[in-house]
Amino acid sequence: MSDLITLTIDGVEVSVAKGTRIADAAKRIGNDIPVFCHHPKLEPVGMCRMCLVEVGLPVRDRATGALLTNADGSPQLNFGRGLQTACTIQVSEGMVVRTATEPVLEARKSVIEFLLTSHPLDCPICDKGGECPLQNLTMAHGVGQSRMHFGDKLKLDKHVPLGDLIYLDRERCIQCARCIRFQEEVVDDPVIRFHNRGRSLEIVTLSDPGFDSVWSGNTTDICPVGALTTADFRFGARPWELTPVASICPHCPVGCNTTMSTRREAMANGRTVIKRIMPRQNEAVNEIWICDKGRFVHHFADHANRLTQPLIRQNGKLVETSWGEALDFVAGKLQIDAHMVAGLAGARLSNEDLFAFQRLFRDGLKSQNIDLAKRRLAGGDVAAQVGLSSGSNLKDLGKGDAILVVASDLHDEAPVWWLRVKQAAERGATLVVANARATRLDAFAAFSLHYEAGQALATVNQLVSMAKVETDTAVTNDIVSAAEALFKAENLVIFYGSEGLAYDETDALAKLLGNLLLIENGHKHAGRVNNGLVPVWPHNNTQGAWDMGVHPAYAPGYKPVKEAGLDATAVYAAVANGDLKALYIAGADPVGDGLMPDRGKLDFLVVQELFLTDTAVLADVVLPAQSWAEREGTFTTGERRVQRYYPAIPVVGQSRPDWQILAQIGERVGLGKPAFAASLTFKDVARIVPQYKGMDYRTLAQVEKQWPDVGGEDLYYGGNAYENRSGLGQQWPVTAEKSAVAHFDVPTVKTGRKDGLQMMWTAVLYAPGTLVDCSDVIAPRKAQPVAALHGTDAARLAVADGDWVEVMVNGTAVQVTVRVDDRAPVGLVLVAGVPWWPGTAVADLKKIVAAALAVN
Amino acid sequence: MHLAQHEYGYLSDEAKREVAEILGLDPTHILSLAGFYSLYYEEPVGKYVLEICNDLACALRGADEFVEMASNKLEIPVDATTPDGLFTLKTVMCLGACDHAPMLQCNLRFEENLDEEKFDQLLARLRTEADEPSVVEKITSYAIRE
Repeated sequence: MSDLITLTIDGVEVSVAKGTRIADAAKRIGNDIPVFCHHPKLEPVGMCRMCLVEVGLPVRDRATGALLTNADGSPQLNFGRGLQTACTIQVSEGMVVRTATEPVLEARKSVIEFLLTSHPLDCPICDKGGECPLQNLTMAHGVGQSRMHFGDKLKLDKHVPLGDLIYLDRERCIQCARCIRFQEEVVDDPVIRFHNRGRSLEIVTLSDPGFDSVWSGNTTDICPVGALTTADFRFGARPWELTPVASICPHCPVGCNTTMSTRREAMANGRTVIKRIMPRQNEAVNEIWICDKGRFVHHFADHANRLTQPLIRQNGKLVETSWGEALDFVAGKLQIDAHMVAGLAGARLSNEDLFAFQRLFRDGLKSQNIDLAKRRLAGGDVAAQVGLSSGSNLKDLGKGDAILVVASDLHDEAPVWWLRVKQAAERGATLVVANARATRLDAFAAFSLHYEAGQALATVNQLVSMAKVETDTAVTNDIVSAAEALFKAENLVIFYGSEGLAYDETDALAKLLGNLLLIENGHKHAGRVNNGLVPVWPHNNTQGAWDMGVHPAYAPGYKPVKEAGLDATAVYAAVANGDLKALYIAGADPVGDGLMPDRGKLDFLVVQELFLTDTAVLADVVLPAQSWAEREGTFTTGERRVQRYYPAIPVVGQSRPDWQILAQIGERVGLGKPAFAASLTFKDVARIVPQYKGMDYRTLAQVEKQWPDVGGEDLYYGGNAYENRSGLGQQWPVTAEKSAVAHFDVPTVKTGRKDGLQMMWTAVLYAPGTLVDCSDVIAPRKAQPVAALHGTDAARLAVADGDWVEVMVNGTAVQVTVRVDDRAPVGLVLVAGVPWWPGTAVADLKKIVAAALAVN
Repeated sequence: MHLAQHEYGYLSDEAKREVAEILGLDPTHILSLAGFYSLYYEEPVGKYVLEICNDLACALRGADEFVEMASNKLEIPVDATTPDGLFTLKTVMCLGACDHAPMLQCNLRFEENLDEEKFDQLLARLRTEADEPSVVEKITSYAIRE
């Protein structure tokens, strides 16, 4: 590439991209120029002066512009009069940098001495001690003593809660502003800032609650000292006692790579426990960030309420039993008429679990009645054909490209996708957002199309049909301009969700959007790298469930079955009317989610779970499963990247991995010996699912060097968590990459939507649920049931901000607080913090007088 | 922010939130600005604010001792206000008059080459000037002109 610049650093020649800073260029050749305020993911500021180096530029003749040479023929260099900051200066051709000369080393000593004048040196009690850039660089460059009179040291507050999640130690802060810059530049949540000046400088927040950002934990990772710590890990352990275990976040379809820091400890009676979760660098997935849900909601794994032993119903009560007895009993009860048995799974299970699940039903019980317990978003079959092509990286999208986001609030459904889409828009990609309401992504969108509730398909249809033809530029409205932008885009990535849509509508939506990707415009988007469809799945492994054939109509690998079985909706109906005798539920709680009122006319209900959920208490047999932290397995992200996670903590009680339980029942219905390990089940997956061909636990564990380098052995990015030693995963190719894909027939959807004020379920990150409820740290931020409505609607209904109203959710009356918010569209009430329901419903808000409020 | 300070006498957290709401900014932004500029008061202040510079150059000319003297004289610590609500004592960073130190700024007016006697005279004078606008009024009239 012609944009390469060649310079010399300490005698070593290096060529780097134009615009690279000296500090980052030096890193490429293993020259670690020490830094504090600099971070390759942030804009440079040059605040801390740690990276001072000598910079020489070639001298040119003023008249001719020719390079001047010394007598010996070497180029003449001008080193200027002082040292310069390597983090702010961009490389230039012929530049010569010296990083180890006497003035440079002297400057480093001075900067360290200066920084330490206001630092408490309380390393022995500091969480960062052991992985602290300040500690490391002091050992490397400090002089070991200070001219500062110790008595003059400022005494500052050491336990300032910036919120309930993050604590500030003012004495330790070296005022590099990495945290403030991260919040402002990277995640657009500028809720922390500097206050005052000089020695009185302090990090403050005035948000409510304090440090109100779902990204707050990341500031503790990039803090180069122990100034910012999490409420969770604070005084929890010393870094050198921790064993890093690679994992994958189990909360959303992004599939952030994480590291669990574990330790055996007396407080847990000698058990190994998770002390913290940090991001693990994967530049194609989460770079080096994770959201606070991924960081703090892991305590469910170790929760006291976990099921530890199989339970069986005797005389109306669930009592403990042995595995052998439980498995024999379940196997016996399931071997009935194949039409009378069904299985529903949760989309949090691993690929191995889901594969074993469908195998038990299809091969063992000869039943096609299997589905996900919650049918929220369709289109796995569409994504298999025109999904985001393998090798794609959202980081590559920029000027000339376009991103379309439909019916999804990425910020709360898949935060890291929100971040990466936002950044692509900032790099110049045209962002088009279509939703029934305003979301946080609108601020970065070139076009925000707000359709009326129920008009999603019509709007997208319009968008697709306009994109097909060269539009008349005389007509200028947003939808025409947006269609034009999508049509002209070099690369096009489409995210779609289910906000306000019924399942059938999402199916039509996926196909419509698939057709948009198949439009020919000199080039077709589908099948090309950095193009394709991404479903914003409700769970971390919904993609895997589709791939594994947990679907009444698709066997593993999207092979259509001859005669489709009952889908979840039909299963719930059959439970109620007695058309089903036995139901197996793995990793799902349809009763708690309001999808199934009770066990209806079932003869036999078996639930495989972590906790005694509302569904499990109704079961005849409850089988205790292991959480993702206790075992290995794979999840597949919404970008179809298959990623491996590893066991971090010991097994809770007698719980077993889901795939093993299912295979052991399979053995009892004639499926042969269960596999010994998850890796062997995955071998079966790779053999049977064509898309997973060639993958195994070794290929999934392959890594390659990640840039920017923040996880290496250097002394200043710190921590042992970033480095990815355990696998970057593999993205499977879609059909369109290999062969032509025909346009999709888009079904006509009848929604039966009734007129009147509508209400729509909206996602919130910390929605109450089995997992979030177990995290004490996140508890204060847990979403409360809220109905947001426009002032006009509020006035018409005579409700005010803070009033309590009753709404019907899935046939159950739920009490919610009213929030009058003019960001809500007129005619549409946005309800959050309550169980999900599909589509929109007529909003029948009943005001509750204080006396009638249920005591919660 | 000046208008809010004028309205409430100082910038309370509530006032900052109100400003943020009106301007569509994050309240932390307003807090940060109020913290950076020494003429935004985040606590209630007296009618007169005596802002003594004690940066390096002034300190070399006895500013620290001058602050101590002033504190004893007013019988309040730095950053406090006299019970009669007349004087608030503050130390500030460079006001750009090092050659006339010890010096202070009172209601946007420089008082230079000070000593104990001149300080006494200043206090006496200020106590008698009933019509003089308060520091916040002074700042507002200076900052916001029609």
